[in-house]
Amino acid sequence: MKIDRRSFLGLGLGAAAGIAVSPVGVKLTDDSSIWTQNWPWTPVPEDGEITYDPSVCSLCPGSCGISVRKIKGRPVKIEGADGYPVNNGGACLHGIAGLQYLYDPSRVKTPMRKNGNRFEAISWEEAISIVAGKLADIRTDGAPETLGVITGSAAGSMPALFKRFLDAFGSPNAYEMPSLEGNLQLTAATLHGAGNTIGFDLENSDFVLSFGAGIIEGWGSPVACFKANASRKERHAKLYQIEPRLSNTAAGADKWIPINPGTEADLALGLCAVLLSKNLFTQGNFTGGFQKFTAVIQKEYSPTRVEASTGIPAADIEALAVAFAKAKAPVAVPGKGRGDHGQNLKEFAAVQTLNALAGRLNQEGGAFVMAQPEYLSFPEAAMDEIAEAGAGKEKIAGSVNKLIEDINGSDKPLLNALFVHNANPCYTLKNTQRVKDAFKKVPFVVSFSSFMDETAMEADVILPASTFLERTEDVPAGAGLPKSVIGLATPQVDPVFNTKNPGDALIQVAQAMGGTIAESFEWETYDECLEAVAADIWDSLSEEGSVVVAEGVPEGTPAVDVSYLAANPTSVEMKGEGDFTLVAIDNMRLTGTIPAASPFAIKTVSDKVLSGTQTVVEINPASAKGLKDGGEAIIATEQGEAKVKVNLNEGIMPGVIGMVKGLGHTFDNPYVAGKGVNVNDLIGPVIEPGSGLDAAFGIKATLKKA
Amino acid sequence: MDSALIPEGAKRCAFPKFMIGMAVVGAVLLWGVYAMFLCWFKGLNQTNMNDYYGFALWIWADLAVIAIGGGAFFTGLLKYIFKIDELKNIINFAVIIGFICYSSALLILAIDIGQPLRGWFIFWHANVHSMLTEVAFCLSCYFAVLTIEFIPNILENRQLNKVPFFHHLAHNMHGVMAIFAATGAFLSFFHQGSLGGVAGVMFGRPFAVREGLLIWPWTFFLFTWSAAAFGPCFTLLVTKITEAITGKKLVGDKTIHLLAKIAGWMITTYMVAKIIDTIYWATVTAPSLGFSLSHFYTNNAFYGYWILIAEILVCGVLPGILLIMKSTRENPTTRLVAIILATIGVCLNRWVMVLQIMAVPVMSFDTWALYIPSWQEVATTILPVAYGIMLIAVAYRYLPVFPQELELNKSAKAAE
Amino acid sequence: MIQHENAHKFGMVVDLDKCTGCGSCMVSCMAENNVPFKEDETRKKDSITWMRVYKLTNGKPFPETEVVYMPRPCQHCSGLGDHGHSPCVSVCPATATDYGYDTGIVSQIYTRCFGCRYCMGACPYHARYFNWWDPKWPEGQENYLSPNVSPRMRGVVEKCSFCYHRYQLAREKGYMEEREIEENEYQTACTTACPAGAITFGDLNNPEHEVTKIVKPDPHPDPMNKNVVGKSRNPKVFRLLERLGTNTKVYYMSEREWVRKAGDNYLDGEWDKRKNHHGSSSDHG
Repeated sequence: MKIDRRSFLGLGLGAAAGIAVSPVGVKLTDDSSIWTQNWPWTPVPEDGEITYDPSVCSLCPGSCGISVRKIKGRPVKIEGADGYPVNNGGACLHGIAGLQYLYDPSRVKTPMRKNGNRFEAISWEEAISIVAGKLADIRTDGAPETLGVITGSAAGSMPALFKRFLDAFGSPNAYEMPSLEGNLQLTAATLHGAGNTIGFDLENSDFVLSFGAGIIEGWGSPVACFKANASRKERHAKLYQIEPRLSNTAAGADKWIPINPGTEADLALGLCAVLLSKNLFTQGNFTGGFQKFTAVIQKEYSPTRVEASTGIPAADIEALAVAFAKAKAPVAVPGKGRGDHGQNLKEFAAVQTLNALAGRLNQEGGAFVMAQPEYLSFPEAAMDEIAEAGAGKEKIAGSVNKLIEDINGSDKPLLNALFVHNANPCYTLKNTQRVKDAFKKVPFVVSFSSFMDETAMEADVILPASTFLERTEDVPAGAGLPKSVIGLATPQVDPVFNTKNPGDALIQVAQAMGGTIAESFEWETYDECLEAVAADIWDSLSEEGSVVVAEGVPEGTPAVDVSYLAANPTSVEMKGEGDFTLVAIDNMRLTGTIPAASPFAIKTVSDKVLSGTQTVVEINPASAKGLKDGGEAIIATEQGEAKVKVNLNEGIMPGVIGMVKGLGHTFDNPYVAGKGVNVNDLIGPVIEPGSGLDAAFGIKATLKKA
Repeated sequence: MDSALIPEGAKRCAFPKFMIGMAVVGAVLLWGVYAMFLCWFKGLNQTNMNDYYGFALWIWADLAVIAIGGGAFFTGLLKYIFKIDELKNIINFAVIIGFICYSSALLILAIDIGQPLRGWFIFWHANVHSMLTEVAFCLSCYFAVLTIEFIPNILENRQLNKVPFFHHLAHNMHGVMAIFAATGAFLSFFHQGSLGGVAGVMFGRPFAVREGLLIWPWTFFLFTWSAAAFGPCFTLLVTKITEAITGKKLVGDKTIHLLAKIAGWMITTYMVAKIIDTIYWATVTAPSLGFSLSHFYTNNAFYGYWILIAEILVCGVLPGILLIMKSTRENPTTRLVAIILATIGVCLNRWVMVLQIMAVPVMSFDTWALYIPSWQEVATTILPVAYGIMLIAVAYRYLPVFPQELELNKSAKAAE
Repeated sequence: MIQHENAHKFGMVVDLDKCTGCGSCMVSCMAENNVPFKEDETRKKDSITWMRVYKLTNGKPFPETEVVYMPRPCQHCSGLGDHGHSPCVSVCPATATDYGYDTGIVSQIYTRCFGCRYCMGACPYHARYFNWWDPKWPEGQENYLSPNVSPRMRGVVEKCSFCYHRYQLAREKGYMEEREIEENEYQTACTTACPAGAITFGDLNNPEHEVTKIVKPDPHPDPMNKNVVGKSRNPKVFRLLERLGTNTKVYYMSEREWVRKAGDNYLDGEWDKRKNHHGSSSDHG
């Protein structure tokens, strides 16, 4: 058959018609839609049996009990554990998002060694031997005291193990990051004697006078505070919030008392003065010169004087003092924001003294002076001569902030090696450049971080830690709780990456070093160590998951040594110049310390806090001077400057700039880092004389249209 | 070169010139096609739509082209059902414009939906309560009708018409066209109405919601009516543009005046209804839900009372009056002004009924949401315009679209 | 109206005086329901948050400013006159969202949705979210996804389901044990997560459930607006945009008058008349 144009056309048309009436079209249409319902790039999670396992969250000092939901052993969700003595159900957003940390893009997946400016992966054996080798050299040089350790807190077995390592090694240089618990212990030591801490019985108080404490913004043990705060409605209890800014706590309070930033101590002492002058105080166990204290306080902190510094009318101060004294179960709470960074002992002591004057120490609904929990008993560390010699040396500084200052101020290296565990000082401490400079002056920095954060990046060797979901650890809940609870975190999943419990890593380093150091770390594993040193409570701890070591109103009226305040310590002044005061804000949806907020948590952050990659600062419209809501501006302090967006907000005092903490991370995680400014780059530290605390609550700043 | 395809006796520009024109418009078309494929392969993140603006530029374009394409069904209705024979001189063109508008609308919908491969679920899993289901069914059916109405005109091409089968088919189709016109009018009534209903039934959106008759909110009837009123204006406008480009008179004044007159009365009566509707909504419906009129037109950077005035008075009442008054209707300049304003007016109405609805805050603590379309949205919206120009150009060149063309231009020559 | 004899009507009441704006409910919802996240989630208009917490202010200048946080899940409207034609369900052309007459829950069928977004336009609460992007998890992170809720694909709409899968699990358990489910067996992820205990969830048809005791819903249409059914008889409780007749099943509670007023829209002077008419409040929280 000859195929001409016509028959070709006919054939083509016929074929087309045939296909059109055949089921092919229908089938293809159907199949294509089924394909869209099963796109291979849309994950299909594996199904299986559901189980729940208890553990304890150690992301923050709150130490809540959690319940991990698993599918065939695979964790899929973290929820608050019902019945746990700290949180009893409920959890904060960071804990709920905890699983995201397991698979975080910025996790350190294997031990690393810095080679020039780059990290290279090494084996655990190699990493341990490098660390042990370097440390051995330091000892050989006879300078064991030049090994320092920075830990996130002082509580629990991990800081104790590091401390033990230093003892066996021969160094007194153990430092902790600033924390609310640390501040409370310092306050207790100043007023009530060493070895104590302070808890606040918020859930039984009918009048909480908060000196800027972010009771619903992460202060203390967050979930416990949320619960105590929520129960106010049924209990008809009052919360007065003293703060320059309408924080969420202030918004939820019965009364918001705006105060000039940084003058909380003045107000607390002013209230003390009113109680003293009106004879509304309770005679307690005051020592250290109560007469002198009374005279000094009444003279220096009269309502009119306090009005001048705080901006709160004298009449209001008197009324507030009277209301506080007359309430049935009042309690005053110190610690602006989360109560960790930028705090001063003067304020903490003044607020606690107010509690004492109002007769609220060791009273239901008041402030509890409690002994620090002692549930760990380590055998004596073995020390050789080198260790003995080093341990006798003086500690370089009284606080981590002072340490950084001293390292920078010294011509020769004060530390030859530094361990950093559970802390990110290169991000969290003020003037981060200064911290990084100090780190650069330490020849050998070992990080035990789970994440490649700002501090890990400054390290020479990283011994990556398993996260709280991959390791065993005792988790003491402190931070202002009116009780003492020890929890046990247990591994919920095998380590996702080539990481170790930092306890194991430390034990291996010790054993690699041999001698008395190895002798001091004779456990096979950290788990074995924990079981041995927590033997007193281990049975209940391992069976129940937690042990309440102290609960209820403590016995007796503690002594209150007023000598510190009677000497009228000077208040810390803000540095810099400018029309504005920049203050750092704690926001529940972000974390100011470690770890950085998860992608989920970042997602919840308001666009009035973070806009694209820009931090949004709050200012009162009255001080806007041409700045527009949502407009760009340059904020400048003596530390540096940054481009930000402006949020005109009636909920902040005129003249104050509020900038959130927790943004401006610089590591490699597109979901949480590279967003906004780290407020610690703009504020420099101001060390409070005596306490060594960085008391910089803010800094003078200028804000100009960009 | 292509002279064998050009209608007998008709004068057309040289083929290369035609092709250059086509290439220019074709480039714009390709730009749109590129954007279209971006949207299909990368998803709707290519647009600037967001969760506040689920309906945006495309849905406006969709509603607008369907409204201005309303000239096809209404002219068909008048020609075939009401037997206004004069309109035979413009019916072919009205059908082509309608075909372009409706095919564009379908294309836009295919780009607009998040899962184009599941588009047919609207038929398969149809929800009879949804106005959009009604739109989909009637729109598809009516597009089929328009295709049928367009086919005889295609078959009248000089070469195709030589095939006896095609010749007879075209002839017979003309004979039964009244049935299709009636079907088309019926379908159009419903889908134009349903498109109005889309907004009117949104009882969560006080700016959109309207009371109505049975299941149909007043916007249902207003949309049908406005499409019938403004559609012919667009047909007249495109005719005018085509005449300007070709430099020829293509439709007789008598036909133009007649259609303009009908449109004028339709617009005027529509505006009466629209004004009553607006007043009722502004004074009864919205206040009963807690909204004063000012809520919808203040406190934002774009939507002010100007849009209400522009839609109702400047682009509604004014063209209506210009077209019902003989002197202004028959004056080419004022008529042109009127049909341009009218076309803008109906497009503005559709804009308001799509985009302003999305912009207005409803919860007391919500804020106005304004949006600027991405280039991909603009390109895909211009795509149908380019496609329309090309289709009209091809149709005009090769099909006997305008029955009066030869006669009108002969007499023009004779007059010289 | 098809109404099962033992029909449930799940709903919640949020105590705004307790809500701290902490965000636990939002994250619990995201983790429970496999909600994806992007690098930039600050464009809130394309950020998928089934549970979104709004920040409301009383608009007064410093220092009289007050702030309240309002968690907003899908309101699970039962529509004009409580007939089950919620604003979104009635407009979905492909029946991809449906009203459960036995639960009062508005469902979303992701595999049927073809992404026309009409439902989003119809919803005045912005409770519906479109997947503008393919959901993408950083490497390894898909390991925490729950099999109880399918991850959604690009191009479809999603929203809060009142954790319907939790209801299914509880119901299956009850069925196996041949008993009705208890109040505490079916609770949404936001409810259980809330550290302040601000959310109370339960069956509004069950007078024993806490939510019903707090809300005291009026089963009769509101005499002032026949479209409104289920209005709370607790003067401190209100619903969002109640006047529209959407008949939401998420109620809010506050002692503060300005907060209750912010729940709806009122013409000038209208609020004072209304609240007096209801005799509800004269407090100045």
